[in-house]
Amino acid sequence: MSADLSRKRFLVIDDQAQARDALRTIAQTAGAFAVEFAANYQDALYRIRNNTPDVILCDYMLGEGRSGQQLLEELRRFNLLPDETIFMMVTGEQTYEQVVSAVELVPDDYIIKPFSPDKLLLRLERIVARKAFFADYYRKKRRQDYAAALASLQAKLGSEAGRPYRFEILRQRAETLLASGDPEAAETAYRGILDNFDFPWAHAGVARALHRQDRLAEAREEIERVVAGTPNYFDAADLKAQICLAQGDAGEAQRVLDDAAQRTPRNYLRKRLLAEAAALNGDAETARAVLADVVANDTMPGAVTPEDRLQLARSQVDARDLVSAERVLLGLRESEVQNMALDEQASFSALLAVASPEKGKSRFAGLRPALLAAELRPDTRLDLVRGALEVRDAELADRQATQLLGGDDAKRVFAMLRKLYALYGREVDFRELQKQIALRRIHHA
Amino acid sequence: MQPILDILASGVHDAKNQLLLAESLIADAEKRHGIDLGETRYAIEAAAGRLSRALSAYRLLGDGARLSPVPVIVGDLCDEVALDQRRHLAARGIALEIRCTVLDEWPLDRELVGDLLNNAVQNAGRYARSRVLLRADQEDGWLVLRVEDDGPGYATLPPPPGVGLRVAGKLAALHRRRDRAGSVDLANGGETGGAVFTVRLP
Repeated sequence: MSADLSRKRFLVIDDQAQARDALRTIAQTAGAFAVEFAANYQDALYRIRNNTPDVILCDYMLGEGRSGQQLLEELRRFNLLPDETIFMMVTGEQTYEQVVSAVELVPDDYIIKPFSPDKLLLRLERIVARKAFFADYYRKKRRQDYAAALASLQAKLGSEAGRPYRFEILRQRAETLLASGDPEAAETAYRGILDNFDFPWAHAGVARALHRQDRLAEAREEIERVVAGTPNYFDAADLKAQICLAQGDAGEAQRVLDDAAQRTPRNYLRKRLLAEAAALNGDAETARAVLADVVANDTMPGAVTPEDRLQLARSQVDARDLVSAERVLLGLRESEVQNMALDEQASFSALLAVASPEKGKSRFAGLRPALLAAELRPDTRLDLVRGALEVRDAELADRQATQLLGGDDAKRVFAMLRKLYALYGREVDFRELQKQIALRRIHHA
Repeated sequence: MQPILDILASGVHDAKNQLLLAESLIADAEKRHGIDLGETRYAIEAAAGRLSRALSAYRLLGDGARLSPVPVIVGDLCDEVALDQRRHLAARGIALEIRCTVLDEWPLDRELVGDLLNNAVQNAGRYARSRVLLRADQEDGWLVLRVEDDGPGYATLPPPPGVGLRVAGKLAALHRRRDRAGSVDLANGGETGGAVFTVRLP
């Protein structure tokens, strides 16, 4: 099969002008129809969003603390990269090979500099052939028709044409099982891959599947090994942190994220997670500093959301920097607040009631009847506790605390909840709530 | 040792960027003027290969060397060696034959094993009269890669120890699967009658 490049549009991403020229020349010699450039991360995102190229040649080192791997991860996470688009990483040294052999999110291929037009063509031809082989699966996966997608993979697994792609089929199968909401089957699938070969990404897959099954201690053990063995696998650090948070170990979550964030200073998704871990760990100062960095510097279009501003205000409230919290909250336009879902509106009014009682109290009181009855997310309930304790609404606070202590996220939020009650001198009441929950558990058992 | 390695790696990285630029300019000139500068490009790629090889030798012979194994289609790996070496050998009257009977993917360090095979084929080309054969077969659950030539064979077996062979042996041994580890073997004879360089990977 030959890759007909005469109709393909290339995008070359490199921060060095000479390297861009070199890659364009090579792509054109290999037969590329049109070659566009992106000189930096933002420009690349903009071009890919607005007019997705057929082939992306992306240098691994993009400057300004960004890497091609981060770009790839963000493109996949935000669904900006169709499976049909070819993403090829271009790299000069072996550091990237260690990344690509470990991580779950991989490019279609990577190529080491220097390389000839013939070599690029050979590599592209193979990717085209592989994508043709998986074409029907991609379509079914995109429709989220997981049963059909899995059936398609099963057929490929047994086929002669599928022999060269066996690991890729198994990997897609495990990912699809996880996406379809069957973590038990996904775990089995990843373990099957590990029986064959010890890939770090398959260990991370096992940990992810265990996490979804709420088997936290096993998940933690699995991911610890991956993080220790492959220090450049930052996604594994994120996963470990999430598992730690679910276990109520916000201290370790913050430590592992802080380490990863220092080595990926422009990854703002990771920084948001770090802020969350710091906040749950009671380190309001770090949470506040990190979120201020996110809100000021995450320049991805539409990246900084009203939720980010709420999170920043929350961290400022926890750090008792009420003046800043008030400024951030009142910086949200009334239309933005009106367009928020109930959870965010509840958080907004509760936080404002703390930051600026004279401006926030009445709004918070107005929402009260709805808040007493609504099903809300754990983090929203924590905000309600913040606001209710501040306005001395013991009933609202205790009701949210009871829901939290009896719910699935009890371990994650326990330390923060206890701290809030202590802040308002209500330690005794908190212990009483705990006792009641424990008694109720015994009755139900 | 780590800072020294970082300095070396960064220097190699910069050099390879320059070599990519050189290769692109030559490819452009070839296209523009309809000429063949394949041997020039070969020399550039060989220079880049030497730089990587020196760096990976340093890494592999040090402590805590780690591989980056990915699933590799063995036929594709052989085809890339052919792409890199065939024209250069042909210019000296030596035919490179590829025979791969392995259909499945195999987890291995693609760049390092590819470089090992390129090196072995280059060596074989130095002694071959007319033929170099690269074979890939699956034998008892092992991937067996052989580079054979029709030259005079190794003068002594085992040959005198050298850095290249030590690196190859270490690289093979770092390929592990359960309780098995890879190995390198040198012999004379084989199908083409000359030297036989064999890598076995689990």
